[in-house]
Amino acid sequence: MSHAVGEHPVLDPAQAAPFPQAALPVLRNPQLRKNVAHAIDVIQDKRARLVAEKTDWQALRAAGAAIRDHVLGNLGAYLVQFEERCTAAGGQVHWAADADEARRIIGEILREEHASEVIKIKTMTSAEIQLNPFLEAAGVKVFETDLAEIILQLGEDEPSHIVVPALHVNRSQVREIFARRMGIEGLSDEPRELTAAARNYLRQKFLGVPTAIGGANFLIAETGAVAVVESEGNGRMCLTLPRTLITLAGIEKILPRFEDLEVMLQVLARSATGERMSPYTSLWTGVTPGDGPQRFHVVLLDNGRSSILGRHTEQQTLRCIRCAACMNACPVYRQTGGHAYGSVYPGPIGAILTPQLQQMRHAQSLPYASSLCAACYEVCPVKINIPEVLLELRSQVVEQERKQAGRFFDPIYMGLRVANVLFSRAWMFQAAQRVGRVGMRCFTRKDGWIHSLPGVGGKWTQTRDLRGMPPQTFREWCAARGNAQGKGVA
Amino acid sequence: MSASSRQRILDRIRAATPAAAPQLAEAYAALPREYVRLGAMSANACVERMIERLREYDAEVTRCMPDELEATIAARLKGSGRRVFVAPAGLPAEWQAEEFVWKVDKNLKSLPVSEIESAEGVVTAAFCGIADSGTIVLHHQAGEGRRILTLLPDWHLCVLRASQVVETLPEYFSRCPQPPALVTWISGPSATADIEMTRIKGVHGPRFLDVILVFDQGSQPTLN
Repeated sequence: MSHAVGEHPVLDPAQAAPFPQAALPVLRNPQLRKNVAHAIDVIQDKRARLVAEKTDWQALRAAGAAIRDHVLGNLGAYLVQFEERCTAAGGQVHWAADADEARRIIGEILREEHASEVIKIKTMTSAEIQLNPFLEAAGVKVFETDLAEIILQLGEDEPSHIVVPALHVNRSQVREIFARRMGIEGLSDEPRELTAAARNYLRQKFLGVPTAIGGANFLIAETGAVAVVESEGNGRMCLTLPRTLITLAGIEKILPRFEDLEVMLQVLARSATGERMSPYTSLWTGVTPGDGPQRFHVVLLDNGRSSILGRHTEQQTLRCIRCAACMNACPVYRQTGGHAYGSVYPGPIGAILTPQLQQMRHAQSLPYASSLCAACYEVCPVKINIPEVLLELRSQVVEQERKQAGRFFDPIYMGLRVANVLFSRAWMFQAAQRVGRVGMRCFTRKDGWIHSLPGVGGKWTQTRDLRGMPPQTFREWCAARGNAQGKGVA
Repeated sequence: MSASSRQRILDRIRAATPAAAPQLAEAYAALPREYVRLGAMSANACVERMIERLREYDAEVTRCMPDELEATIAARLKGSGRRVFVAPAGLPAEWQAEEFVWKVDKNLKSLPVSEIESAEGVVTAAFCGIADSGTIVLHHQAGEGRRILTLLPDWHLCVLRASQVVETLPEYFSRCPQPPALVTWISGPSATADIEMTRIKGVHGPRFLDVILVFDQGSQPTLN
């Protein structure tokens, strides 16, 4: 299932190749790696400067983590409160247990609206439920309106980052895509000109398409309001011009009160794009007569989230506010880019979120896609201890694997079972040491190092050498020394 | 179908969170909030910081005293080289200089989108300014306009009073008597960095943000 360079990236965790395989095309593509590294360097640099100017950064992180934990611990009550307030303000709230149900609900609303076209604000949640292919199949034409999303939609590509989804595409590639798909001749690769092309391409759509679909950065339980953070104004267009607005949001996006934005808005933009605030943050409450869409739907999506709740270590995954600071800081993401993660959520947060959303049925290689250096934890604005969750998931993967019948003769698990027996008795361990010393002798070169081993041991010696066994164990040496000096050894 | 999903999701959540607080408000009140709420700057320094931030966003900023406001607005309108402007409901009539064409949005008779789209600029008041991030906050009340009015025209002239400027984001929240239904936080003009992280001004929202800062607190504006 692995895709070669130029082939379409697979972001469905059930279909995607394991991480080490999926990473290969990128590792072999210097242009892609250069694009990713450049974008990340720019954001990282800006983020570092703006975080440094906040003297209360750690206090903001602590408050952010505490607010999010409080929400998760009381999610049921807050969701019901949100539903009640949003409905009272004229919104209509729908509940979707999984991706399939969310797609059906949205499809149903669009049918009632007789919608043949929709405009969309960037939402990773819609990518998570694979909404666009579903809508296209149902005969609804989808227009993405975020510049990066247009690049991906017209280029038939997939997002590789959750904040800057097209960061793997450079300006000349954008020029090629726009010239071909918008039919513009003589387009240069100046970002200014490319941006203007996108503005013209979308202007009539904004003014003419009466239905919009978007996501939510935050849902406010106290008031039933929804907040969206963006830069370009395409979000504001979609939130104000259409007749009907559909917001798709994960159930964990709740904040208790309006004032909680004072923490979240301070940490979000700084972490995400290295800005003090994003150019536009919009908040609306249900329907306002005379201002904006007069029909408003919120689809609350579970899709595996509730299965992460209540697990002591893993639950912190749901604190995430999708700022992407973790992927920008990650040395692995920097090398592989986002497509290797086989999910719309790449990077460290994807490595813990994706397998859990799949109830550990797919994407088992992701918890290993990390060096555990903890750079992600350090930058996380809501203090998700990603390495801790990675380790917990790794242990779950091992637990699952060792019970599989097909793995019974797997050399690693056989070896571990044997070791389990040998290490339980001192005499067995000592005997194994003696056997091992004799056995390893034939692999040890004259320089005292083992350069290559057969079978499963070869996985180690492929990339590093191994010291040969010493002629004596420590206990043997100690005992011999005691005898030579005529003293007993305790 | 949907009703049963609602129940299923809530049941799953409740089963996973048996320790949910019976007194939600108390648990909420106990959350740690050690971050900076009140700024430490003088009112003057705060306004200067606001101006500095706005200029970093490439916004034009003009200072004036309250009695110079009408003349300053007229001068900015003239200086923009534009002629046709949108006036939101509740915008003071004195702000709408006669030499320009005004499309007035009224509460009971709002402007059609095509009229707003064809205007060259919009003039509004604001609810608040946040110096720390150079943010202008609109609650879309009288004088601030419906949300669409400050979105379609390419040029936005915003009148902000020094008394409306706070230093920190938490100070803004403490100025809200109750949670507003509509808010737009504007921090510089519409922008993107989606192509190679090169910042480009003006994608879909107004490309030009022009701010008049009215020194209404008895303070003297420093000369530009």
